[in-house]
Amino acid sequence: MKLKYALIFLGQLFILWLLNEIGMKLAAWLDIPIPGNVIGMILLFILLLTGVIKLEWINEASSFLLKHLVFFFLPITVGIMTLGPIFLNYGIPLAFVLFGSAAFGIILTGAVSQLLASRRKVAKERGIRDHNI
Amino acid sequence: MVFVITIFSIIATIGMYLLALKAHKKYPILLMTPIFFATTSIIIILLVMGISYEEYTLAKDIMTYLLGPATVALAIPLYRQRHVIMRNFMPVILGMIIGTTATIVATVYMATWIGLSEEMVTALSIKTITVPIASEVAVVIGADASFVAIMVVLTGMFGAMFGSVLLNWARITDPVARGLSFGTISHGIGTAQAMVEGEIEGATSGVAIGLTGVFTSLIIPWLLPLLV
Repeated sequence: MKLKYALIFLGQLFILWLLNEIGMKLAAWLDIPIPGNVIGMILLFILLLTGVIKLEWINEASSFLLKHLVFFFLPITVGIMTLGPIFLNYGIPLAFVLFGSAAFGIILTGAVSQLLASRRKVAKERGIRDHNI
Repeated sequence: MVFVITIFSIIATIGMYLLALKAHKKYPILLMTPIFFATTSIIIILLVMGISYEEYTLAKDIMTYLLGPATVALAIPLYRQRHVIMRNFMPVILGMIIGTTATIVATVYMATWIGLSEEMVTALSIKTITVPIASEVAVVIGADASFVAIMVVLTGMFGAMFGSVLLNWARITDPVARGLSFGTISHGIGTAQAMVEGEIEGATSGVAIGLTGVFTSLIIPWLLPLLV
């Protein structure tokens, strides 16, 4: 039973891996600045929409990868250790710009989106009310 | 020797990751954000053991092998939440465009004002897009790709650690708006954290990674010369 589950899991992983490979090949072939994995993601979305791939076929492996998404970034973030000298010289101004602008961006993006969403909801409710009258 | 170092590095990374998850569950405070806690402890272990990042590279390549397929899997929350996102099409698109553009402008002005070199300003301007797109764009605008990658990673870590706090403070409660913020500014690392908040947040954040990356790569070549 455990072996069967492992085989299913590997098979599902293979589908995701294959889509990623196809995405990479397409990106190189089309020569566009969109990364292969993002193209693979769009491909999978289209395949799910059109019903070519069923969600059940990839559910277990996908849930596992998404649950541990942070893990895959760890080896890259560890690369910060190579920037010691730059941080010693420019650490404070860099941190100021990096984190200041990111905080600004996070709040602004959320605020714009929420404002537009709430306006739309108000307009919709008004529309429904007008219909009732 | 390479073999031993690589095996040790992989075990240390997985171990610190699992420890970070446990620690965060027990003490859900900022310093315990898994990406921050795990990264710092892995760096400390490598430094103590005298392993350089170069020696860690093979372990890194092995462990990040599934990052591509994991990104592909982001299509699933997107598929499940497609109706929610389509219903919020304008808030998502306009939020992303305004947020991204304003952040680039703010970054360039802040960096120039504080006196960073033009090289650094250029590299910082694309810090909100995912590493695989950023490294392509870096070549186009003539920035140092590995420096860009680290700036991207730091921005992601910042978003993962402070995103929820900042959004709560600004009273942004709409799950679509919250997810959009995470993905637009802090790409994949922020998305991993957005997934923890909820599936709608995770899905919107996943969409935002691609949207922001594509949008930035289209506008930055002509926007940057106007600002610098």
